Amino acid sequence: MKLSRVSYRDPKLLLIAPTVLLLLVLTIFPLIFSLYLAFCKWELSGGKYAVTTPVFIGLENFLKLASDERFFDTLVNTVVFVGGSVTSELIIGLGLALLLSREIRGRKYLRVMFLLPMMMTPVAVGYTWRMLYHPTNGPLNYLLTLAGIMNYPVNWMGDTKIALFSMILIDVWEWTPFMFLVFLAGLQALPIDPYESARMDGASRWQIFRYITLSALSPIIAVAVLLRSVEAFKIFDIIYVTTAGGPGTATEPVTMYVQILALRELSLGYASAVAYALLAMVIFLAVLFIAKMRKERI
Amino acid sequence: MGTVRARAKSVTENFLIYLVLIAALVCILFPLYWVATTAFKFPKDVIRYPPALIPFVQFEPTLENWIYVVFPWFYTTIVYTTHGTEIFSNLLNSVVAATGSSLLATFTGSLAAYGLARFEFKRWKNRDIAFFILSQRFLPPAVIVIPYFIMFKTVGLLDTWAGIMIAHTAISLPFVVWMMREYFLEVPREVEESAMIDGCGVFRTFIEIVLPVAKPGLVASMMLAFIFSWNEYILALFLTYKKALTLPAVIAGLTHSGAPLWWDISVMALVAIVPPILIALAVERYIVRGLTLGAVKG
Repeated sequence: MKLSRVSYRDPKLLLIAPTVLLLLVLTIFPLIFSLYLAFCKWELSGGKYAVTTPVFIGLENFLKLASDERFFDTLVNTVVFVGGSVTSELIIGLGLALLLSREIRGRKYLRVMFLLPMMMTPVAVGYTWRMLYHPTNGPLNYLLTLAGIMNYPVNWMGDTKIALFSMILIDVWEWTPFMFLVFLAGLQALPIDPYESARMDGASRWQIFRYITLSALSPIIAVAVLLRSVEAFKIFDIIYVTTAGGPGTATEPVTMYVQILALRELSLGYASAVAYALLAMVIFLAVLFIAKMRKERI
Repeated sequence: MGTVRARAKSVTENFLIYLVLIAALVCILFPLYWVATTAFKFPKDVIRYPPALIPFVQFEPTLENWIYVVFPWFYTTIVYTTHGTEIFSNLLNSVVAATGSSLLATFTGSLAAYGLARFEFKRWKNRDIAFFILSQRFLPPAVIVIPYFIMFKTVGLLDTWAGIMIAHTAISLPFVVWMMREYFLEVPREVEESAMIDGCGVFRTFIEIVLPVAKPGLVASMMLAFIFSWNEYILALFLTYKKALTLPAVIAGLTHSGAPLWWDISVMALVAIVPPILIALAVERYIVRGLTLGAVKG
């Protein structure tokens, strides 16, 4: 007995040490490093004017950020993208889950079908939608005009007014199944008793939905929405492959602005400052998510 | 009377449900159908209007794109220097990165998960460590790509298998820890305790007793880590450029040329899409749980 207690206590640090060390090297150190870079000037382009080693310049990058219109454009794009796609995914996913939660034939195959979009390589998703959206020979314009939904072809990716909506549509296609499957799992775990007693008391269908289903699902809804929002803030690949942020900067998310600053303009200090602004937004959501998880579990 | 009315209602209701179901499935499957058929079209059938929708009726399927992409040496030298020859090496890069990173993440991650599920940490509480690890999952890769680029350049890991493997491990690790922790918490600990009392060390107990029991969870989290790495793009964009280019990086690069060769890229997109989908089907039961980090039991 005594022996086992000793061996229980000692190696536990060895068990978590590799993971913690890996994360310190691969996320904490890079975060500190790029925080330092965010306060530096480091421009590799510009020939003889290039700043080839980081030079500390204090808050200058952040002051520049505060008056950078392109940054605010990308910020708005990101927030609209995240808000639009997560809201649509929530509504459609919840609706589908409620509608399809009863026993229907071939349920297992149904779940499998819904897995396909979100397991597909995002770059391939973007590429596929770029074909569907093609203004002259894409099938989407053809089918929608054929069905009488539209009178004239739409330039899905080239029209400044709707390009961001088109990006949201791709994300909705890819990730609504996630919401659907999560809510389906949640609905199946609900107990039957409250429904029976509510029905006996003569509750209407709306009341049953509002006061039993929705209130029992609300923790799962919160988790799914927060998780999806954090993930949606990472959006890069789909937009990179379809519009590459265009037309102009109409669909450019903050992530892509970071990439352009870093790889095209080689302005590594300022790119780090922009990246940190993105991080600040994500941290807010992540803290909400973690607080939610801490409350619900363990 | 009442039962008759109820049945009549449920018939129209069922009709409605199946209508929505079919609409949802058409929406999900059509993009997949489109990329799959484009891979078997002659260029003239890709760029025509109205689009060719039905094989054998509206267009004659061909294997030519596949031969061109997979066996480019059938073609003249001028043609195959464009891109064709690389698909095998890119495929190999993707397989190596995904296998290596998922093995590494599963190995170190499950050790940590076991430590967190079975032992009590005093100075930092278990849940603090667990949530520290979880928080890494929310980090947008765009925030750390710049320090990664610099770190990897310094130690010579840029554009190497090891580099992309390590970067992808950082992405999967928090996920593996959480998924496996959930799993270990569900595995009864009596067997392990008796093994320890019999004088087995922690590591031997872990390898001989715990791992065999936890095998399904281990396989599932490894498979999901494989998919994350396989689908990942932004890190691959920054950290590879020639030798270690993964499939998504190549596809994204090709779509950015002025006139993309839709028919050939569709072949590559299909090659990229099929493995994660097949893997997802194999571990279907664990996906909802995995993607919600154990918050929702699928």
